[in-house]
Amino acid sequence: MSSLGFGLITAAVLAIATVGFTMQFAVTNVLNLAYGSIMINSAFVSYYVNEHGVSAWVALLGGVITGAVASWFLNRFVYTPFQRRNLAPITVVIVSLGIDLIGTFGLQAIVGGGYVSFSQSQGHEYRFAGLILSGLQLIILGICAVVLVGVHGLLKYTRLGKAMRATSANRNLARNSGVKTQFIISTTWLISGALCGLAGTVFAMNAGVFEATSAQQYIVLLLAAMFLGGPGEPYGAMFGAITIGLATEISAAYVNPQYKLVIAFLVLLGMLTFRPFGLFGSEKTN
Amino acid sequence: MPQSYGFYLAIILVYGAVDAMACLGLNLEFGVAGISNFGYIIFQSVGAYVAAVLSMPNAKTSNGGFQQYIFGWHLPWPFPWIGAALAGGLLAIPFVFLVGKRLRGDFAAVGLLVSAVLLNLLVTNYVPLFNGAAGISLVPSPFQNYWNPQGLGYQFAYGAVAVILTIGVYFLVKRITESPYGRSLRAMRDNDIVADSLGKDLRKQRTSILIVGGMIAGLSGAILVGFITLWAPGAWGYAETIVLFAAIIIGGAGNHKGAILGAILVPVGFEEITRYLPPVGNPELVPALEWVAIGLLIVLFLWFRPNGILPERRRILSGNKNAPVPVPTKSDDESDALIMIGDLQKLNFRELLRLGEPVNDNRVILSTNALTKTFNTVTVVSDVSIAIHQGRLTGMIGPNGAGKSTTLAMLAGTLKPSSGQIFYEGEDITSMPSDKRALAGLVRTFQLASEFKKLTVLENLVCAIPKQSGDTFLGSVRGKRYWGAEDRDNIERAKEVLEGFGLTQYADAYAGGLSGGQRRLVEIMRALLTEPKVLLLDEPMAGVHPNLAHKIGDQLTKLCEGGMTIVMVEHELSIMDAFCDPVIVLAEGQVLAQGTMSELRQKEEVVEAYLVG
Repeated sequence: MSSLGFGLITAAVLAIATVGFTMQFAVTNVLNLAYGSIMINSAFVSYYVNEHGVSAWVALLGGVITGAVASWFLNRFVYTPFQRRNLAPITVVIVSLGIDLIGTFGLQAIVGGGYVSFSQSQGHEYRFAGLILSGLQLIILGICAVVLVGVHGLLKYTRLGKAMRATSANRNLARNSGVKTQFIISTTWLISGALCGLAGTVFAMNAGVFEATSAQQYIVLLLAAMFLGGPGEPYGAMFGAITIGLATEISAAYVNPQYKLVIAFLVLLGMLTFRPFGLFGSEKTN
Repeated sequence: MPQSYGFYLAIILVYGAVDAMACLGLNLEFGVAGISNFGYIIFQSVGAYVAAVLSMPNAKTSNGGFQQYIFGWHLPWPFPWIGAALAGGLLAIPFVFLVGKRLRGDFAAVGLLVSAVLLNLLVTNYVPLFNGAAGISLVPSPFQNYWNPQGLGYQFAYGAVAVILTIGVYFLVKRITESPYGRSLRAMRDNDIVADSLGKDLRKQRTSILIVGGMIAGLSGAILVGFITLWAPGAWGYAETIVLFAAIIIGGAGNHKGAILGAILVPVGFEEITRYLPPVGNPELVPALEWVAIGLLIVLFLWFRPNGILPERRRILSGNKNAPVPVPTKSDDESDALIMIGDLQKLNFRELLRLGEPVNDNRVILSTNALTKTFNTVTVVSDVSIAIHQGRLTGMIGPNGAGKSTTLAMLAGTLKPSSGQIFYEGEDITSMPSDKRALAGLVRTFQLASEFKKLTVLENLVCAIPKQSGDTFLGSVRGKRYWGAEDRDNIERAKEVLEGFGLTQYADAYAGGLSGGQRRLVEIMRALLTEPKVLLLDEPMAGVHPNLAHKIGDQLTKLCEGGMTIVMVEHELSIMDAFCDPVIVLAEGQVLAQGTMSELRQKEEVVEAYLVG
């Protein structure tokens, strides 16, 4: 049963991350492969704030802000200019790979290669229904619940959310209908970037120890979760993340934990082959 | 000292050849065929492992038995290298479904990237296969029992063999690229959906290239492992692919000399420069900064010099090597008004397009039965049953969102119908893929600009001609002697059509630089050169100067008199009035009415739905 607990936490962190990742894809059609590097940079900012005697939960805000600002900056000054040039979509993906290298190894050049950890207690141990969760993990679950409900509220009940969905469905049509798409895209990158920073920091807290390259393989989980639910679909991302998060950790209980990414990989390849528009999505009009 | 320089030179020779060979393979995939193989490094790696395993002796009898081996075949050179190339080609096969027909290029690319990450993870952790993270070491070098691999002579000879093989690979990829098949590959790279609509089999083309690229990568891995005698997962992290991509982007994607230059500048250059750097900072600092530099180079080059140091060469097919390339103006109206289609009258389309004798028997050549298309829950085309008669210029009108383009796309096979059937020449073609339909004579054009941007105007036309003997993989490998004469004929044919449409001066200009109207013409000419029986035109006159539109209309009428069948989606009613009979009116996904324009003008529901607005 302990694997179910791990699975819940992994799923919670992944859900926060995937919702941000998929929102970026939804409004700008960019597979931002630099997402993991922004996650880990945000985690390190939180870590340094925490090092200065600030509580880890307050330091978390530093990570959130870092993620938001860095993602906004990346979209505004890198991806958007490249997209304006009307290049093949793959060009921007290659650029994002370059940015990922710059982000990850730039960080490593600054902080060195050693492992670090937050100074913060894991909290009490709580047991219920056969699960054992630490206080830290319970808080992460709580944050995840708040984020998912918040995103749901944003998309469903606010003008901003409606404009985001409209932009994602058809950017030109949205602009012609009076949606300020540039503003919506910027705002989406701020919000999704904040989720990215938040996910990076809680990912690092949950991992215990982490280093500059710790999030390098996270892209496998992100992509699997996103494609399972359908690229660009925030609700699909929630479903995909929970499924992938639980499946990887539960499978780790039965096979060598080193192979736990394999299930995510198989899901991703299966989805790309048979249903690249997701489990619930369907092909789109142009 | 001179001797140590000698060793150093030999090492650089081998590394340079290996990296150049790998870059040539990747350039064929990415720069020529447009396949973004983000997992390319695993093809090199499988070659290295297979070469190592095939050349290793039995564990119990040698090497102290500390490694875990499979087989222990101990094959002599060149079998391990051949095996490596075959393995690289075989590894391509499971990925064919990813790069196949329908999947977006960037989705396929991340699929390959993740595959590379996962394979590395598996090999690292599953020790019995290739000895896990420690990797395979003490791999026998070729002929090591007869010639000391540590000797200077051996190392230079090894370097020489590597260089010779790389030169061979260079000529192979060049031969493929410069053939009619290479033209089709570049067309697929520039716009795969359009290439498909012209009859190019995307899956087959991508499969062939992925296999050839994989074999080249596999061979490069074999050469490397025979020299350094060890191979471990650390050598082929997924990021190594990015290094090769950086090399190609910097050297010049699509230009094979550029790929070699990139290989020398990036993988070799970075490896060598770090030898001369003093150790500074923490031990991770220098390697970390190297990765940062690779990332920066990619981003900066794509921004400031996206075509690389040696950009892809423009192919001059017209034979006019010295003629200056006219710079087409982008301002549409101006240049379109200047297009003269004077000679069109003289053009013998029937002969040029191999149309055969006109048979205007007015039979139904293309028809649909209850054709329906649903996206999500929205029904765009509902229960459409139409019959297209041979030799007629059938118009299709309707307000925006009426389902005209969707119907056309289903007729051509670009979209799959949700239900209903399509019949062509009496046969049910509902499940026939679009490229096969094109080859059968059912060819479409697109509403949006669909020229192959980085092919010249003449190349755009020639690549559409069906059944070229140089337009298969094997044909391309057989070389110019095999397909050259035929290709010259094809070029002449394309030039005649070009002259008829008054665009001769732009023959060698990149199609992507033409004005809107000119690009429309290129598209129509290209469709004609596929020798279609039924031509499906999606708003061919959109953005075209009215004078020009009527000239095109006249020619379309002539083509129909000559036996061709044309279906044309169009907004402009004056065009419909002048040229189309019958006209089908679609509204909200259904057939509202059909008949001649004057008949339609009498019908109240048509006038209400469309003609008034």
